Order: sequence, then structure tokens, then C-alpha cells
Amino acid sequence: MHAITTAIKHEEPLLFEHQHADEKSISLPGVVADTPQHLQAFLRNEVAMIPSLSEPEVVRHFVRLSQWNYGIESGFYPLGSCTMKYNPRVNETVVRLPGLAQLHPDQPEDSVQGVLGLLFELQQSLGEIVGLPHVTLQPAAGAHGELVGMMLIRAALNARGEQQRTKVLIPDSAHGTNPASAALCGMQCVELKSRPDGRLDLIALDAALGNDVAALMLTNPNTAGVFEEDIAEICARVHAAGAFVYGDGANLNALVGVARPGDMGIDCLHINVHKTFSTPHGGGGPGGGPVAVCDELARFLPTPRIERDGNTFCLRHTDEESIGAMLGSIGQTGVLLRALAYINAFGRDYLHHIAEDAVLNANYILHRLQHAYHVPFAGFCKHECLLTDEKQAAHGVKTLDIAKRLIDCGFHPMTVYFPLIVHGAMLIEPTETESRATLDAFCDAMLDIASQCEADNTDALHDAPVLAFRQRLDETVAARKPVLTWPKKAAT
Amino acid sequence: MRFLPHTDADRTAMLAAMDVPGIRALFADIPAHFHMDAGSLNITPALSEAAIVRKFTAAAEKNRHAGNTRCFLGGGTYHHFIPAVVDYIISRGEFLTAYTPYQPEISQGTLQALFEFQSMIARLTGMDVSNASMYDAATSVAEAALMARRISRRTRVLIADTVNPRYRAVAHHYLRYLPGDHDDVAATVNFATDPAMLIAAIDDQTACVIVQFPDFYGSLYDLAALRAACDSHGCLLVLVFSDITAFGLLESPGALGADIAVGSGQALGIPMGFGGPHLGVLTCKKKYVRQMPGRVCGMTTDKQGKRGFVLTLSTREQHIRREKATSNICSNQGLMCTAAATYMASLGDVGLANVATRCAAALNMLVIALPDAVLAAPAPHFHETVLSFADVHRRDVFLRAAQQEHIFAGIPLERLDVSIEARHLLVSTTEMLEEQDIFDFIRILEASLCMQ
Repeated sequence: MHAITTAIKHEEPLLFEHQHADEKSISLPGVVADTPQHLQAFLRNEVAMIPSLSEPEVVRHFVRLSQWNYGIESGFYPLGSCTMKYNPRVNETVVRLPGLAQLHPDQPEDSVQGVLGLLFELQQSLGEIVGLPHVTLQPAAGAHGELVGMMLIRAALNARGEQQRTKVLIPDSAHGTNPASAALCGMQCVELKSRPDGRLDLIALDAALGNDVAALMLTNPNTAGVFEEDIAEICARVHAAGAFVYGDGANLNALVGVARPGDMGIDCLHINVHKTFSTPHGGGGPGGGPVAVCDELARFLPTPRIERDGNTFCLRHTDEESIGAMLGSIGQTGVLLRALAYINAFGRDYLHHIAEDAVLNANYILHRLQHAYHVPFAGFCKHECLLTDEKQAAHGVKTLDIAKRLIDCGFHPMTVYFPLIVHGAMLIEPTETESRATLDAFCDAMLDIASQCEADNTDALHDAPVLAFRQRLDETVAARKPVLTWPKKAAT
Repeated sequence: MRFLPHTDADRTAMLAAMDVPGIRALFADIPAHFHMDAGSLNITPALSEAAIVRKFTAAAEKNRHAGNTRCFLGGGTYHHFIPAVVDYIISRGEFLTAYTPYQPEISQGTLQALFEFQSMIARLTGMDVSNASMYDAATSVAEAALMARRISRRTRVLIADTVNPRYRAVAHHYLRYLPGDHDDVAATVNFATDPAMLIAAIDDQTACVIVQFPDFYGSLYDLAALRAACDSHGCLLVLVFSDITAFGLLESPGALGADIAVGSGQALGIPMGFGGPHLGVLTCKKKYVRQMPGRVCGMTTDKQGKRGFVLTLSTREQHIRREKATSNICSNQGLMCTAAATYMASLGDVGLANVATRCAAALNMLVIALPDAVLAAPAPHFHETVLSFADVHRRDVFLRAAQQEHIFAGIPLERLDVSIEARHLLVSTTEMLEEQDIFDFIRILEASLCMQ
């Protein structure tokens, strides 16, 4: 049963509901011969039932699906802590050059000098930008970088003979990946409660520090969008207690070109290139999470390492003290090259404009919305601003309603219910690539929503979205009775 | 700066509206001595768009690539045919530039594509369910080991030494700080897997046995006895694959009895890309679904009863469960799932079977034509095998001669596994090789042997 299409807003059935096309619909190159005799004992018995569509049908199917989606190219995407900035098209062009896209990772090194040179430049540039000179490009995402970073810290502590340091201090405002990564590294997580102003509590830090602590994991600016002003003192105390400071670089966009985490005392930092350096999120990935470290941690970095020897570049596959490979390759090269292209576009001349405009835009939004919405932490924000639904809740409207209403207004919602340290959080991150007109339009929509609440004219908020491709979906049923695949024998 | 919409007048007006004297005043909470002067970083100066294209093109032209060579390299990354529509679809901004579909009402495109991906991967692997991707095959193996430990509540992980050495290394590194043993089990006989050696290693503390099929050397073997041994010890069988298109032709992991099947989906329309982004595939039996790592998409309905899709079972995940999550993974390889779905729908059953058959036929043709001085591993092989030379010198003379004619003839095996003597070559074939390419390979091989 297919739903009815109206105008040019197409309903699109599942691939499995399409009529199967002619089985000879694709032409393939290669050696044509019968299946070799030695494979007869290993052949598949049951056909997989992968649908086969003709090329025009495939294109139309996925183009229609794409039209049900919203990307940064469609409009404003102010997801806090996600840094949804414009993804330059030239980056897409250059990574598709055959000399970059069609390289096998095990080609002889003399046949891949060009790509190694680009990756080496990225490695050096990232180290310079964050103030930590030694970089691995291997981690495939931010959380993967966290895991690599925690392993580096553990390796360094073991080398010092301090195997007993297995606790990791993590503020309650941290991303969920922080404790999950630490646990995967066999560490025990100790949660630090934030101060009433959203920042790290030095007294709580002192109380938790001891000779069993391996590291503090810190996001700065933190997930409330505020800078930890005591950063130098925090790092000094952690170092004095014999532990390392791990920096979650998810919010690096607030600092890039303006100040460097390494200068502040961070020992190890992952860099989400799919945030700060504009590589597209792809509907969930791929990402990239290079890790930059201080001198003490450098000898433990993963292999293979990209090194320079005069005018040639090489891969070092073994190193006695290295934590070894954490991915099956040197990294997500296609993602990494896009990041280099973004850094090159700004270069040393303009890189600071990234943080400056990102912080300007977030503060502009905060300024325009600060009276209509509750602002839990006073003062300037950095690259993102945090609001809550406290004022609207009095009128029966929650953060979720506001978020869904924004969809009807033509915007992607902000990050909702995160960080966990405030009730009904709305975390708004505009990035540097939005115009003043877009920011104003978004603020106007938010102010409109606030006045509808004030007037108790809230039906449209509870019903929203009504103009999107689907209305609110039943997530409870989805989780309780999970349907994760289309059955082979479904009636179509 | 071309990516920044603000004019200086905009900035001034916005600052004035906020009654702030200048942009750097917004950074006053960062201690002054940490502030850097503009332009003080030691990185490349700003490049115009044209200069970026010129720079990357110059770098690309220094490389040889699969488009201007003949590629016999495998070992987990394969040069397959990619229909043009795949890259077109994943280049569309609505897919390319969307975030994780946390707002399902405006993300149905990504979500339906994920649901179709999961469904087709489950069918191709013969498994009940698939998640919405892991980073790559190696990390999928690590996650499968962790998952098997949770399911079995045991901690001993056995990995056949005929699993790709890179996958084994990453799995060991993931497990290194967790309690319990994780061991490579010697199971190699003539560059093939001997299941009896694995069976002998299983004990009642074993959480899982991890094997690769076809194995790292491209060899095939009977899994029935190993499956039975896993049953009698109550441990899980984890099956790893390095090229999922094999199952267009070969018996699927599900039919072979795998509890968890993981591996690479790179062959499904994703370029080799010098190591990534690729696609890690993780599938399992339905009863283990709540122990799966990573995101998964499920079907539901909206308020009006229309069919729709959402990310589901999120109580397994780090943003809800924090240190008790099944994995720390957050960003995955979402776009690569869309690529794989587009690829699979373009090929269908027949196309996938043809890909696998041509891969196998090309290798068979090559092996039959080998001169006597070079031996292929004796076990049945799919599209990859080990060629053994009398010594490293003869092998490397051949490799250099082949490279002279723009043929990447194989991967020196010791490069992937340092414990193996340096005279073997891992050779792989795909449908991208024509008969003439095989003839050339053999001609250069014979000539190189005569030269010595």
C-alpha cells in the first residue's frame, strides 16, 4: 500500500516495494568465465533478494529520499556542540581527483608521495593550531580520538610505573562519549559536579585529585558554551597531582586561531575535523578525530606514522613504545584532505576569523534572545549559547515543542536536553558561516515562539511540526518492538 | 574571506547592537597571555579556490592510482567498479551535509536509506539484523569481541591467526586494558585456516572464536565442526569478512552459523581512498540486538499513522548510558551506508553474483597460468591468494618489473604480518581486471624469473 503523493512532494516506497527490474540492468567489466570448480562446495544456497532497479529508478528513488532531508546546504543548522558549518564544494572536488580517491593503502610508498605530503602538512598544521606538536591522523571520529588519547595517557603512566592511576575525572557537563571512552580504556569515571555558574569547581577537583587519578577530561569552552577561565590553574593542579589533562576538542571552533589549548596546559586533545574544519557530517559520519599531544605522550602515538625524511615521506609501521594501530588504516584520508583544504582556504592570514565570527554570532543570538528565554549562566558565551525552557514551561511548553516548532518555521532545531546540568536545555551554535540575515530570521522565529507562549497561544507548538515530511514519530513503539529490517516475505 | 558572509559593516553593527567595543572583547574570559596575534600561526598562507585546486591536483599527479595502473592489491581494500550514480547520490547536499538524524521529521531521507541499508546487509550476510555502520572492518572486529564478552559474560577472546593481521592488532589494542585474555590462536596451515586447531583452543571461559571467511589469505574452509564446538562450549562464533561482495556467490555468514558477522563494506561502491572513509559492517542474530554497539534505525509511524523511521534502541548508547554504554561510538560512517545502499540497489542479486564470479574467475585464470617456479596456496580460494617465490629477491624483481609496466602486482606479505618470511605475495583480483591484465601479469612474471 503506497501513500498518496500530493503535488511534487513525493512519497517514495522502500526499494523492496519497487518492481524488480530486468536482471541484466548493470554492465560489468572483467573476466567472464564459469564459477571455478573449487568453489562449488562453498556456494550460496539461498538467494539474498537484493532488489535490482534500473539506473533511472535508482536515481529517482534516492533523489526523492534526499528531498526528505535537511542539510546545512538547505538552511540554518544551529546544533550546539555539533558545529554545523558550510562544507565548501571545492573540497568535494579535490578529494575526488583520481590521484587521491583511487589509491590503495598498500601501494609502494614511492607511488603515493603526493597524498603523504598533503597528510603530513595537515598533521603539522593541526599541531600548530592547537599548540601540541605531535599529531596522529588515525582516529576515525571524536570518540575514537578520545579512546586513543586515554590509551596514550595510560601508556605514559605505565611507563612512569604508575599503573595504579585508573580514575578519570569528568565534569557532569561532558559529552557522553567521555565516560564511555574512558570506560572502554578500563578506567573508572568520577563525575565532577559543576559550579552554579556552569564551570568546573576547583574545590571538587582538589577533593577528587589523588595518586589514583590518571586524567581530567575537560571540554573548553565547555558544553554550556562558557570558557573555563581558571584553565591555567586547573591544569596546574592536575599536573601537580601527577595526572594528565585530556582536552575534548569538540568546541575548538571557539578558539581556532585565537588561542591554543596546548598553551593553556592541555596535554592531549582530539580535534573533530568534521566540526571545526568543515568536513561534511554525511547524516552521521564519516568524521575524523586526529589527536594532538605534548612531548611526553609523543612516543606512544599509534602506528603507522607519517614521517618526513628530507623531500620524501614515509610510513613507519612499527615502534616499540607505540600503542599500535587503532584503525585498519592510517586514517579517513578523504575526510582529512577536506580538512586541509579548509585550513588552506583561511591560512595563517584569516584562520582567526573562524573563531571570531563564530563567537560573534553566538553572542548576537544570546543578546537577542536573553530576555525572552531563561539564560542559566550569565556573561558572554563562546561559540554557542545555552538557554532553557524555564519561562515557557510555565505556559506548558517544553524544549521539545520549541524545537519542533522551529522545523515549521524552516530551521533545523538546536541541540535539546544537553548539557544535562540544566533542565530543558537548548544549546544553539550558529558557526562562522551564517549571515546576519539568517541569524535575525532565526531569532525572530524564536521570539515569535516565546510570545506565543506568553499569550498562551500554544496549540501550534504542541502539534509541531505539521509542515515537515512527517509529523512526530512514535519512538516508544520503535524501541519496544524494534523493526530493523524489511522482511523478505512482506506483502508489497 | 569567501566562506564568511559578514561584511565589516555587519560585524560593526552587530557589536554595536550588543554594546561591545570589538570582537576580541568577547574573548575577555580567555586570559590575555593566551591570546595570539592574528597571522602568527606557522601554517600555509591563505589560498584562493583556484590555488587549492592547483595544489591538490599537483599532489594527486605525483601519485600512481588504480585508474592509471592495473591493481592486484587486496588485503582488506579492493578496487571494484563503482557506478557513477553512487557518487552522485552521496554528493547531494541533503545527504552529504545533514547531521545524525536526531530530528526524524526532517531526516526521513537518511533514515529510510539506513533502513534499506540495514535490510540489504542483513540479507546479503544472511544475518537477522545489521546496525547503521562502524568505522571500518578492524574496529568492527574489536566491537564484535566486546559484544561477545557482554553476551557470554565471559572474557576470553580467541582470534584465529588467519584473520587479517590489522584487524587482529586493532582488536587486541581495544581489549588491552580490559580484564580477561585475548589471544591469537595458531591455525595456519599452508596459508589456510585449520579449524581443528581453533577447536582445540576453546575452553569454558571462551567468550568467542573469531575467524575470517574467506580468510586473510583468501582461503575457504569448512566451518561446520567449529560451529558445533562453539555450541558445545557455549561460546559465540564471530565471522569476519574483508570483502562483502563475496557473499554474492559464497555461502553467507548466517548460513554458516555465525552469531555475529562483521567486516568491510568498502567493496559496496566506496573508493579505496588511501584507507578511508570505508565502511565497517556489524550484523548479528536478533536475540543479541540489545548488545549491539552503534546506531540503528527502526521503523515506526508518525502521529498521522504514516510510516516513518527513527534512530532507536538508544538506551544502549553513550549519550544516554555514558560509561555503561555498549560502545563509545558516536559519529559513524553514515554517508557510506547511503553509498552502499545505492550500490546494492544498482546491482541487485544478479549483479552482486556477477561481481563475485568475475573476481573469482580472474584469480582462477591467473593461478592456472602460473609458472612452476611460483606456487599458489593450495586451498580453495575466492579472489585472493598467496603466491610463494623461491626467495625475496625473485619476488621483488618481479614486483619492480610489474611496477615498470604500471601494475601493482600484490602486497609483500611481511608488510602486513612481520612474522611471515619475506618471499610471499598477497595477490587479489576483482572485476576491474580484464583478461589482458592477467596475461600481462603472467608475461612479466615469467620474464622476471628468466632474468634471474
